[in-house]
Amino acid sequence: MGKLWSLFFVFSAVIAVALCWFAPDWNWWFPGDGKAHSTLGGKIDDLFHLILIIVAVTFIGTQAALGYVLWRGATIKPEEKALFSHGSHSLEVIWTIVPSAVLLFIALYQLDVWAQFRIKGAIRDSHGKMVRPEPVAELTARQFEWRIRYPAKGKPLQPKPQPDDIYSVNELHIPSGRPVEVTLRTDDVQHAIFIPELRIKQDAVASLKIPVWFDALDNRDYEMLCAELCGWGHYKMKAKVVARSDEDFDAWKEQASAEQFDDGFRKPVEAK
Amino acid sequence: MMFRHSSNHRSVTTAPWQLVCGLALGIASGLAGCGTGPKAEFSYREATQKLIPVARKAIKDTLEDGFGTPHNLVAWERFPVAYGGAKASVVAAAEGVQPASKTISVSVEGDVSKLVSGASVLWLTGTRAGEKAAADTVDTYDTKTKTLTWSGSAEPAPGVGDVLIVGFGHALQKGRAVYMKNCMHCHGVSGDGNGSTAQFLNPRPRDYRLGVFKFTSTLSAEKVSRDDLHRVVKYGIPGTYMPSFLLLGEEETKSVVEYVRWLAMRGEFEKRTDDDLGDFTEDSIVDTVKKSKTAFDAAKVAYDATLKAGDKDAVKPDAPIKLTDARKSATEAFAKFQASDLDQAVEDTASFLAEAWTRADDEASRIAPTVPRVADDAASRERGRLLYMSDKTKCYTCHGLLGKGNGAATEDFWKKPGTEELYPRRGLHDAWGNPLQPRNLTLGQYRGGRRPVDVFRRLYAGIKGTPMPGFGKTALKDEEIWDIVNFVMSLQYQSPQPAKTNAGGHVVATDMPEAK
Repeated sequence: MGKLWSLFFVFSAVIAVALCWFAPDWNWWFPGDGKAHSTLGGKIDDLFHLILIIVAVTFIGTQAALGYVLWRGATIKPEEKALFSHGSHSLEVIWTIVPSAVLLFIALYQLDVWAQFRIKGAIRDSHGKMVRPEPVAELTARQFEWRIRYPAKGKPLQPKPQPDDIYSVNELHIPSGRPVEVTLRTDDVQHAIFIPELRIKQDAVASLKIPVWFDALDNRDYEMLCAELCGWGHYKMKAKVVARSDEDFDAWKEQASAEQFDDGFRKPVEAK
Repeated sequence: MMFRHSSNHRSVTTAPWQLVCGLALGIASGLAGCGTGPKAEFSYREATQKLIPVARKAIKDTLEDGFGTPHNLVAWERFPVAYGGAKASVVAAAEGVQPASKTISVSVEGDVSKLVSGASVLWLTGTRAGEKAAADTVDTYDTKTKTLTWSGSAEPAPGVGDVLIVGFGHALQKGRAVYMKNCMHCHGVSGDGNGSTAQFLNPRPRDYRLGVFKFTSTLSAEKVSRDDLHRVVKYGIPGTYMPSFLLLGEEETKSVVEYVRWLAMRGEFEKRTDDDLGDFTEDSIVDTVKKSKTAFDAAKVAYDATLKAGDKDAVKPDAPIKLTDARKSATEAFAKFQASDLDQAVEDTASFLAEAWTRADDEASRIAPTVPRVADDAASRERGRLLYMSDKTKCYTCHGLLGKGNGAATEDFWKKPGTEELYPRRGLHDAWGNPLQPRNLTLGQYRGGRRPVDVFRRLYAGIKGTPMPGFGKTALKDEEIWDIVNFVMSLQYQSPQPAKTNAGGHVVATDMPEAK
């Protein structure tokens, strides 16, 4: 019976590792096509993989040790004596220092990615230059939709609505290929913007205007959701990010502006 | 799904909508019993419930006949609803197979993908049209040879040129599915604006059953157009709980718009029929009895007085009408009415609604400005402001001097329409009896859309079901409406001018036009 259990635990570990190994091929891994479509997203994925490798090594090591101990216990001969050990100071020091070192390493190693996501847009770089990306839109979450305000073509986004601003709902248009800033707000309760394929997730908090910095590498549509259970209609907050080249983005702005300022007057068609 | 063809009704398909229970929910409420939700039912108006039993039954039967139940929709052909399905006509009957084969070659207009095995087949013309072919469905359809075989009776054989619809009612069923998933929990199964989440919402979800929708592009006497509903579903109504369903997709949006129109037609049909039967209510019977009792009492007093005076010839007044007798006579009167006039009343209502809803999509019903927007400059805004303050429009009485929606009218008690009774609350009310705040124009929130043409239409035709009147054609010229549009749309961007004060802090000038 003991042998069976030791094999069982070893096998579960083997199956877990094998599933993780093949998961990306079966599309059980990251959302969409499995790739990060933003610069920062790639770095976040790298961090994820780094942590996964550290955890995997630890997991495999501990599972192998567990399997060995179980197997040894199950196959121990009656005449063999078990070794009694009551603590080992040096062992304890080792298993305190090693994980602490690993955690400290991760904490330091990820700082840059975190800073890029949250801080670097608001500070000067080593040349004393602001690297704050261009604000393209103000994204207001409300129960249960996303309302978005853009400045007119060629103008900067103002904190307050301007007469020539352009509005859209549930479709966030951004220029692709360069970092942008989206000002995140909420009209009511807490919401969270989540663009899985860009690896962007940020809470929207009442009374705060939170800048979200990201870029989209490809000209395509990305799914956008609310990641904070915000009420009974939470599931309705389905939206998309439309990332296009600068020209297409400007063309969209022109078209949206023409639609928005439509006065409904059509010249009567001349009789032929 | 049923089909109503003039007076012939026939079943097409039935696909009851069932509430699918999620796994997590299933575990949580396992003990309470979960699986299918409560059976969806169309509710009836309060006015219907107040009718005497025979009249109530007549209305319910008529409604079920014409519209069915949520589980078994009836598509009443005369209403202008795109019920869906692919139309086809018989090109040739397949030859060589005897006795009559169930194979025909057809030419299809529309979506060939509807011609799948099991789809309903509805014969509109020819020998098979009518009651007999009730259960026909598509057996096979060969896209290459364009031959269709149906399952059902072989006789009578269809002739060349017969018209059939495959998958009739498909769009309405699809609309129902979309509606049940996305709209029902606020707007209710019957579209009465009383779904389970409605009680938490302010403003209340629209009750479609008056056939009235607020934000339309049509003239004030006209219904809402398909395009208007489509816009509302797509972009939502900012400032309310109606969210945007932009990602629903074109086909689903279209079908849910048809379903909402259909629910509105059903609701208004019920309301108008209720109005036709207004004499046959329990209240009016009680009222008759009461009146008769009062008349009798008065006559009795007079009679007793004359008796006392010694007049032997005084006529004894008739006994008052008993409640049971009054009920009986009302029931008899209704039976008479039902035998002679009810069908005509239903017919009139149906044709009135069909015409009104068809007209709504006409180009002629749509408000199009005759002049382009007047240049949005200071002069135009000033003209608009003077019009806003004028007695011609009286905008300020509701929307307030500064456009904040706090005009004097919001402090008054208003009469319920058609009665002398006052609403219990101060302020304006809409046609549904809900308290209504005049729009605060300084917020830049435009429920009916922020395009200048949207605001123009609000001013031209008013907002249906609300006290907001229309000024188009009568009170204001199109140019003047544009001036007001320019003024109103500028309000969001103006900080109210600080009133000029003198040294003592007293206001010396206000931002008001000179009195004339």
